[in-house]
Amino acid sequence: MRIRDKIFRWVLFLILLFILSGMLFPMYWMVKTSLTKETGYVLNFSDLLPKGLTIKNYQDVWSSAPFLRFFLNSLIVAIFVTLGNLIFCLMVGYAFARREFVLKKVLFLSVILVLMIPAHIIIVPLFILIKKLGWYDTYLTLIVPWVVNPLGIFLMRQYIQNLPRELEDAARIDGAGDFKILFKIVMPLCKPALAVLAIQVFLVNWNSFLFPFILTSSEKMRTLPVALALYQGYQTIDWPHLMAASTICALPVIILFLFFQRQIISGLTAGALKQ
Amino acid sequence: MPKPKTTFIFLSPWIIILLLFWLFPLIYSFILSFAKYSILTGEVEWIGLANYFKLLQDPDFWIALKNTSFFVLGTIPFTTILALVLAILVNQKIPLRGFFRAGYFVPSITSLVVIALVFTHLYARDGYFNFLFKLLNLSSPEKGFLFSEKTALLSIMLMDIWVSVGYYMLLFLAALQAVPLELYEISDTFGANSWQKFRFVTLPHLRPMFLFVVLINTIKSFQIFIEVFVMTKGGPLNSTLTMVYLVYEQGLHKFNFGYASAIAYCLFFIIMVFSLLQMKAFGLGRGIED
Repeated sequence: MRIRDKIFRWVLFLILLFILSGMLFPMYWMVKTSLTKETGYVLNFSDLLPKGLTIKNYQDVWSSAPFLRFFLNSLIVAIFVTLGNLIFCLMVGYAFARREFVLKKVLFLSVILVLMIPAHIIIVPLFILIKKLGWYDTYLTLIVPWVVNPLGIFLMRQYIQNLPRELEDAARIDGAGDFKILFKIVMPLCKPALAVLAIQVFLVNWNSFLFPFILTSSEKMRTLPVALALYQGYQTIDWPHLMAASTICALPVIILFLFFQRQIISGLTAGALKQ
Repeated sequence: MPKPKTTFIFLSPWIIILLLFWLFPLIYSFILSFAKYSILTGEVEWIGLANYFKLLQDPDFWIALKNTSFFVLGTIPFTTILALVLAILVNQKIPLRGFFRAGYFVPSITSLVVIALVFTHLYARDGYFNFLFKLLNLSSPEKGFLFSEKTALLSIMLMDIWVSVGYYMLLFLAALQAVPLELYEISDTFGANSWQKFRFVTLPHLRPMFLFVVLINTIKSFQIFIEVFVMTKGGPLNSTLTMVYLVYEQGLHKFNFGYASAIAYCLFFIIMVFSLLQMKAFGLGRGIED
């Protein structure tokens, strides 16, 4: 019995390893193509392996003027949206967790419903609205509408509900105001939830394509995913350089994942588990 | 005592974003779907149900609906079952299982644009998949998988399953780990075998998560756009034209705001009907008591 168990386990291990190689193969392919001068096309077996490695593509991509701009755009947008979410989801989540007010149920239902509404439905009206506001093709449109998100509110509310109230009550007796209580007492206690929120929002916005794409038009406002998607529109594709740029776009996320695996997973599964 | 004024201040970010960037567009879109909006003058002309009648006679709409439905029905069963199987596998006691969980999840956090680009390369005429097909003596499209109307949509579907399976695996895994261990111990005392334990203990507990996974995957899959935009632009010969791509094309390319809104609302309606049917089929709220 024990031997059968052991064999079973190792067979399972090999199956999982095989699946893993399939899951990671496209990543390998991207990096491999980005490190060669060739097109990366496969005519015989030896083309599957990396050869003639060079980092020149990366140097070319980095030194090209627009690329740095795309990278910085992505970074600026993701950072500001993340900061916005940290403050605003905390505020809104706190109000839902600790305060009583009229229409509380309705307003909380709106959080859940927005989470479920298919985003495609607002593409056209949002485009018109942003044009009317004069925000089209500016940083405002890339940042402001996204500074608070329903999943973040949900996460913070849930976390704050489970915190003990005593500290807040004690601070109030000591004469602390509402803002001081929220930002000096509650916020430090929320660090783990805020970390999950920050990483989650950063990832989503770093990868975000649809809205940055439809709400901007000029090259200087493109974020990395938008620039990558539009680059491909030209006639012949320069695969090694495109894959180098793609790798640069994917790398920060994968590095974040290696360091904050637990937070990322709990952030992505939080919404699902609590319903 | 907490002041009511600060309650309102704390809530204001959500109220503003909700009204301005969700509720207003949602209503505006609905109104627009009964109108013709002139991009030059900004004039709105009421045309009643004309956009919806036009839609019923538009061959592109039916093609998009057919392709989108095919995509949804063709990917969700595979994604769900594969995710469940993977979740069960990585829940066993095997070496390096944390490593496998993380590895399977990597595609889910990578930018979809990047993934679509990599697969465009893999699906190309002299790409990896064509090489593989030739090796196995299978016939493959001459110009590449994305340039044949027979294979383009299927190629995107295969990629989509590959991308999303890791995320749903994690959701199932979380649900599996939430099954109380005592239940397995009790079934052991009754002499239940592994299959019986899976069938009568694990599966009933997974039901709410099953519904959730199918539901969010349905909502997400009906809106497939990025893959199509990056890989095929709806071609060849409209074989990958999807509903949201049509909304984008009509709305932001041809500036037929009214017509695009009608298509968007139609899709919204379809998604709602599907979601409600699924909730009914799974028996909403029944899962927990079992």
